[in-house]
Amino acid sequence: MRARHRTRSLVGKASSTLLLLTLALSQASVAQAGPREQAKRIHDRIAGVPPSATVLNNMAAQISGGNELAAADIAMENSAFYDVTLKNLAAPWTNEAQSKFVPLNDYIATVIGLVRDDADFRTVLYDDVLYIGNPALGLPGYSQSNNNHYEALEDGGFSLKDNLIRVNQSTYSGLPTTATAGVMTSRAAARAFFSAGTNRAMFRFTLMNHMCNDLEQVADVTRPPDRIRQDVSRSPGGDSRVFLNNCVGCHSGMDPMAQAFAYYDYEYDANADPDGELGRLVYNTANDLDPVTGTRVQAKYHINSATFEQGYVTPDDSWDNYWRSGANRRLGWDSALSGSGQGAKSLGREFAQSDAFAECQVKKVFENVCLRPPSNASDRSQVSSMVSSFRAQGFDLKQVFAESAVYCMGD
Amino acid sequence: MMTTHRPSIIPLRSLLALIAAAFLLSACEGESTESLPNTSASASSVNYTGPAPENDDVQAFKLAVWDNLATQDKCGACHNAGGQSPTFVNEQDINIAYAQARTVVNLDAPSQSEMVSKVAGGHNCWTSSTAACVDILTTYLTNWAGGAAGSVKTVELRAPAEKDPGATLTFPASSGDFESTVYPVLTTYCSDCHTENGQTPYIASSNGATAYEQAQSRINLETPSASRLVQRLRADFHNCWDDDCDLSADTMQMAIEDFAGLQSPQTVDSDLVVSKALNLAEDGLLANSGGRYENNIIALYEFKAGEGQTAFDTSGVSPALDLTLSGNTEWVGGWGIALGGAYQNEQNFMVPAGKAQGSTASSQKLHTFLTASGEYSLEAWVAPGNITQEDARIVTYSGSATTRNLTLSQSLQRYEVLHRSTSSDENTPFGTQDADMLLQATLQHVVVNYSPGTGRQIFINGEPSGDIDPDSAGLLSEWDDSFALVLGNETDGNSPWEGTIRMVAFHNRALTPEQIQTNFEVGVGQKFYMLFGVSHLINVPESYIVFEVSQFDSYSYRFTSPFFISLDNTVEPSNIRLTGMRLGVNGKEPAVGQAWANLDVTLNADDYEPGTGQLLSPLGTIIALEEGPETDEFFLTFDQLGSETYARSEPALPPAATPADLPPSSDIGLKTFDEINDTMASLTGVDKTQTDVYNTYVTVKQQLPTVETIEGFLSSHQMAITQMAIQYCDVLVSDIGLRTTFFPGFNFSESADTAFDATGRSQVIDPLLDRFVGENLGTQPADADIETELNSLIDNLTSCGGSCDAGRTETIVKASCAAVLGSATTLVQ
Repeated sequence: MRARHRTRSLVGKASSTLLLLTLALSQASVAQAGPREQAKRIHDRIAGVPPSATVLNNMAAQISGGNELAAADIAMENSAFYDVTLKNLAAPWTNEAQSKFVPLNDYIATVIGLVRDDADFRTVLYDDVLYIGNPALGLPGYSQSNNNHYEALEDGGFSLKDNLIRVNQSTYSGLPTTATAGVMTSRAAARAFFSAGTNRAMFRFTLMNHMCNDLEQVADVTRPPDRIRQDVSRSPGGDSRVFLNNCVGCHSGMDPMAQAFAYYDYEYDANADPDGELGRLVYNTANDLDPVTGTRVQAKYHINSATFEQGYVTPDDSWDNYWRSGANRRLGWDSALSGSGQGAKSLGREFAQSDAFAECQVKKVFENVCLRPPSNASDRSQVSSMVSSFRAQGFDLKQVFAESAVYCMGD
Repeated sequence: MMTTHRPSIIPLRSLLALIAAAFLLSACEGESTESLPNTSASASSVNYTGPAPENDDVQAFKLAVWDNLATQDKCGACHNAGGQSPTFVNEQDINIAYAQARTVVNLDAPSQSEMVSKVAGGHNCWTSSTAACVDILTTYLTNWAGGAAGSVKTVELRAPAEKDPGATLTFPASSGDFESTVYPVLTTYCSDCHTENGQTPYIASSNGATAYEQAQSRINLETPSASRLVQRLRADFHNCWDDDCDLSADTMQMAIEDFAGLQSPQTVDSDLVVSKALNLAEDGLLANSGGRYENNIIALYEFKAGEGQTAFDTSGVSPALDLTLSGNTEWVGGWGIALGGAYQNEQNFMVPAGKAQGSTASSQKLHTFLTASGEYSLEAWVAPGNITQEDARIVTYSGSATTRNLTLSQSLQRYEVLHRSTSSDENTPFGTQDADMLLQATLQHVVVNYSPGTGRQIFINGEPSGDIDPDSAGLLSEWDDSFALVLGNETDGNSPWEGTIRMVAFHNRALTPEQIQTNFEVGVGQKFYMLFGVSHLINVPESYIVFEVSQFDSYSYRFTSPFFISLDNTVEPSNIRLTGMRLGVNGKEPAVGQAWANLDVTLNADDYEPGTGQLLSPLGTIIALEEGPETDEFFLTFDQLGSETYARSEPALPPAATPADLPPSSDIGLKTFDEINDTMASLTGVDKTQTDVYNTYVTVKQQLPTVETIEGFLSSHQMAITQMAIQYCDVLVSDIGLRTTFFPGFNFSESADTAFDATGRSQVIDPLLDRFVGENLGTQPADADIETELNSLIDNLTSCGGSCDAGRTETIVKASCAAVLGSATTLVQ
């Protein structure tokens, strides 16, 4: 052990020295980008790993031939695009801490699968869709009450590009087809955003992750507060100005939409399993009446009812989008939809078919590939053009990756 | 819920007597059936020796009223036998006193008795607060009425005087005036945050129209100082400029005054469909129907005075345990006191945390009554200021921080009770559970019950907390009578509680759960009915939309449960559609709090009940207070009421402002953790699931870069990368198959002294360059530079004086491998 330790120390010193040197060297030579350099960057940015010599040659040839997008397509052939880039893009969406350090789960797998299959990415919020590992791998089966299936898939080092298969979520989750809403009704999302609380977290995090707006950005105090539930204090700390100037801005729009999740909950043993690792998503069908509410509405929707007794009492899962009026019209809601509905599925569609959703996906990919948010007029123009392209290409997210990588491949 | 709170109505021409349903809760033993309260003989009591009371009602009068008022310090000095008429405290004949009293009281509505209104008008109040005298007198009369057989409490409603909404300043459609007055202040001082790149409201947007649209709900043209834009600076010290919040607030206020000065008062938009207007103080009809269970109350604080330094005990039980306010205390609109923490005032004096404290002499009343009964209920309406304070005393009857009879305190989200009994330690708290989070920073009804049978119990908002007192039954016989009652702090001032107290009551019997629920449902504070006339809009005579209204706190009103009614019981509405109802205040519709803007109901005979009306909505809302209940004028507007309609249109969305450019950022970035791992795996050919590399990766994963920003590169990242590189190269070089493929031709068995000749070096360095660095890439370092570094490294490592040990060759290859693999050639993207 002592000798080995000495060796490591020796090697460490050497590599540190070289690291700093080459860091400086590589930065110094950024400006000299020809097709080979552009090809390498496209590959690095898309797949997160360098290309093999052959792939680099092929990509460089495509770039030289003016087919930059084809070069990007080659980079997306690398399994690391799915195993690394897409996984780490989606991982923070699946937990409240927005950490990338979470095991693979059904939410992440479904995002990866939809991208791989060139699916209409909007379906991520409303389809009866789930991606699981190929049963031929002999992994533990998909479970409603643990994540073992996905952790085994990840730990086994299996290529997600080759081993994910699309299935109906309802078949595996036990939800009625009408109650499925893409990743919002995945087990991972339920664990993160339906456990305890009041289900508003699902609304907020979906808004953040798929509409690129936190509540702060969409707060609008002028919307009617008639759907704000009883549990929201109208006088926090004895000062109603706080409610009238802050709380109402988010709750007036959020509560009528978060009502879509009224029949969902995440059941777990809070004492033995405080993190809910072994919990499961539950949904009240027409036959399941909650003993507290006497309806299909989960009890969590009626908690703290004495806080403001004249607040709204949730009777069902009808939702209304109050942000179709007021300043949040800017989110570009689809005029072909009514702005109202029942349940998560139609709410998911309301989100997914908005301009904000499309812009958000494009911005996220742009930032992921270009390593910066859209920063100037040129970037914003590129984003705008990519949003149009995203729509024109049937909301295929790969197209956005390709266009972003080409835009940022260097001159 | 509506049926519990809504009155039933007895038609009396223009006068309506509403019997509050709450009073009909006879099962809850409300005031209508209450027995008399405990009273103690005060030092100044009068000893009656005249004829016996002729009947039970005279006896009730004597106990409830005469005994309390006949003393020389109250009415006995003047209204006695042979004194000033009416002689309702005749000390020679209780029956004469009774007959005289009947001429100046209204037992159906004690608060409206002539005796009460006389005192309310300033007639010889015996305390420093007229309001306190009024309350005490009302309590005496209420107790008498409650004791009288068949007494029914009523709420009287009258049709208000008709008036139209007055003129007011309104926001102009164009943003021009705003842009020349307020906007420059906003863009100068608020644009670091409140633009589209920052946080809402976008009051400093580069687009003036957007800023105007966002700022309107935060500007009060009638009272510029009440504008949120001003208050945030003056009261909340929110990002003041030049380190001077007053000056900042003045600047903002002047800009708003300039803006307001450019506007002229406008009558309410003639296109709007509006109801008649009302003022709360003038037109609001008292809706406090009573119904509280107060049979055994011995001390009561309702904080109605609203001014001064005394919180009066209005229980009517002598001696009055009045409390003196000190430190950071404020009266709260709608009855209550707010207690704040210590702070340094403008003169640099420390103002201590607020508290309200009674004298030890008068506090002795609690000792007397509670030790006698051996049980108690402490009832309070409180709004904790936050959920972070600990060991904060809300109500305490104590001698010091460690000696007490009874304390209710807050610790985070727990209510805690400490009390002294023969079986309980006075400093061991009994409380609610953290996980239950029962204490919340909002108005809550809290009751602490104690009886030897059940021990201590805590009720929040009418519901028991479920916590079981671990102590066995005990007596209060060891209570100390030298302690003082304090609200909001400990007697030593070292355990301040921040929040608002709206009511405190001590009962010398434990309340039953039903009684607690009743008291909770009655609520706290003064309530009114407001009848907004709409007869001029629809063809139904004497028709009104009625709200229950109260001042919610110092900053808002609460409007709840609107219903439609005609005072003419012979008529009913027929198919009258009512949509989009909004409250108007001082000539305009407030932007915030319009809970009935989406209302859509039809008034018709099927849903309408003469005498009770038709419920429009069970909801309530709060509306910002502007000038105060004496001044603010309210009205209603409708998008449709019957055939009257108003087409509401939404202004076009202002064009989005162009976001400001962000500072230029690096064109290159770091690879992140998984990318580094996969990169190393793909470059070396070592499977990332190989046990050693997997374990190393799991160990250092969170130490590797997590974001691409190259400026965020840290030495800890470098250490983790180095460990990864060493591990991958170790596995690569140790695996004969892998290394043979990677370094073809190199003899790992040869001694380091000779293995690294020109050929050997080339067999090591060339594959490293080919695989890790790539060929013909201008963005990578030049091969010659790397070769120089590697040759130097190999030179150093082979300097073992001709006696390198057997494993040295492998080690040098590993070192060379790791030096390139862990470098920026693979790390930067």
